[in-house]
Amino acid sequence: MPASRFNAFTDYGIGIGLRIPHYQHILEKKPVVDWFEIISENYMVDAGRPLHVLDQILEQYRVVQHGVSMYFGNASRPNRDHLRKLKKLVKRTHTPWLSDHLCWGSVDGRYTHDLLPMPYTWEAVETTAANIREVRDFVEVPIAVENVSSYAEFHMSEMSEWEFLNEVVERADCGILLDVNNIYVSSKNHGFDPQIYVDAVPADRIAQIHVAGHSKFEKYILDTHDHPVLDPVWKLYAHAIERVGRTATLLEWDDRIPSFQDVHREALKAARFLPNDEAVAA
Amino acid sequence: MRPLTRDDGMQRTWTDGRVTSEVAAQFIKPNDRLDSFDRLQIYNQQYWWRLLGNFAEDFRGLRAVLGERQFDKLAVAYLDHCGSQSWTLRDLGSRLEEFLRAHPELAAPQSALALDMVRVEWARTVAFDEAETPPLPANKVRNIPPELLRLGLQPYVVLLELKHPIDHLLGKLKRRAEIETGSVSNAVSGVRARPRRRLTTRPSRSPIYLAVHRHKFSVYYKRLAPEAFRLLCALRKGAPLDKACEIAFSFSSDSPEVMAEKVQSWFAAWMSFGWLTRPPAV
Repeated sequence: MPASRFNAFTDYGIGIGLRIPHYQHILEKKPVVDWFEIISENYMVDAGRPLHVLDQILEQYRVVQHGVSMYFGNASRPNRDHLRKLKKLVKRTHTPWLSDHLCWGSVDGRYTHDLLPMPYTWEAVETTAANIREVRDFVEVPIAVENVSSYAEFHMSEMSEWEFLNEVVERADCGILLDVNNIYVSSKNHGFDPQIYVDAVPADRIAQIHVAGHSKFEKYILDTHDHPVLDPVWKLYAHAIERVGRTATLLEWDDRIPSFQDVHREALKAARFLPNDEAVAA
Repeated sequence: MRPLTRDDGMQRTWTDGRVTSEVAAQFIKPNDRLDSFDRLQIYNQQYWWRLLGNFAEDFRGLRAVLGERQFDKLAVAYLDHCGSQSWTLRDLGSRLEEFLRAHPELAAPQSALALDMVRVEWARTVAFDEAETPPLPANKVRNIPPELLRLGLQPYVVLLELKHPIDHLLGKLKRRAEIETGSVSNAVSGVRARPRRRLTTRPSRSPIYLAVHRHKFSVYYKRLAPEAFRLLCALRKGAPLDKACEIAFSFSSDSPEVMAEKVQSWFAAWMSFGWLTRPPAV
């Protein structure tokens, strides 16, 4: 939704991910961009260049934090050292909301650095929701959980992915970062209708939307973030916007990153689907 | 996650000797294109490719010293044994020195050179983003008697005693990389096509004392006189200035005047770099 308690009643337009190859262009040319999404972990350091660059970006732009290693779906509780560093960064960026993924990624102190799919069970719903609540209460900003792309499903699952997502966000009382590319990728890998997914999630909890490119292999699709957004994903985005309304939208491009202008141009294609054209001006 | 096979596949036998495909089938659903083994294998491959890629980025010098094949073998052995024990990939190489000391055969016959390289490359990571505390202004220490004066050292300053001139070797590697990168846009492929020679150097006749530090957000190497190195190490351990000087010059035949002159010039340089701080609170 455009402005809700899940995105701190903000009305952000189209943003792009802040990536190192674009630092120089952004700092020198100061292009007009509505907002940047940063990978929190890249700036959860004590000092040095990453924070120096971030501070310069913060002087000019609105920044939203997106995490990749909180692992809400872990069986264990969130790592306290991680939480402390995250909160320190939240105070620095004043991010209106904070997102991370609906997945697990570490066990017994070993980290995979991957977004691993979860078994969609009632037990996992409870554990995941409790972890999200703990993170939100610690960092004191609204949380949005992002659906991941996946390549495997578990026999033990007791519900569909979208039912699982709905149960988790309801119990955690948090927002959703709806990644329509991830929905598309998973729909092809698991054989479901992506529109059913989009139609099933509670529109009033969607704080933000992600779009991205993916790669097709012979037997599956991989979420690579190294291409422009493909047409079926834009169609799904259009469908989501129709249902949800104007929502903060972010293009992810993480590998084989082209020029800043190319990435920004690609992101602004989202404006075609937004209800008014303010986003184009942004 | 167990290492991949030689052809980058998942191992066919589970840790307990069972057939992996049978184990995978117990918890992963197959689909019409991929069986359970194939679906699990995607995650197994992504894990190793991601970690190996990051490891290779962090230890380019070690890779150049060992060559591709031996480096890959060492990387797999290290990651298999230590894995990642942190939510941030920045820490991936934090235990490599310890691992290599325990397994010198993995870098033989270049074990000593490899160990020096690993220590410097990890020091680079620390120097890049470790905390910075307020530097101590000269007027704050001027009137404190040496027997009472205790000083701290910036956490981002790493002091190393080395057997090899790693700073020069990394400079050589950088120049080599610049030459190779410079050739990318031209049709000439000779430089890149030539098999890469291993980077090597002879041990130095006497120990090399190196400070790896950060200045204006970039990492630098600074060679130190043996006495200066010992002085900084003693200060870092909490010795008062008079005791630290005594330790520093314990093997020196310099006159007291020469010693005083040297200490004065070193302190002037260290103060200008902002290396000296208040001692850490006990």
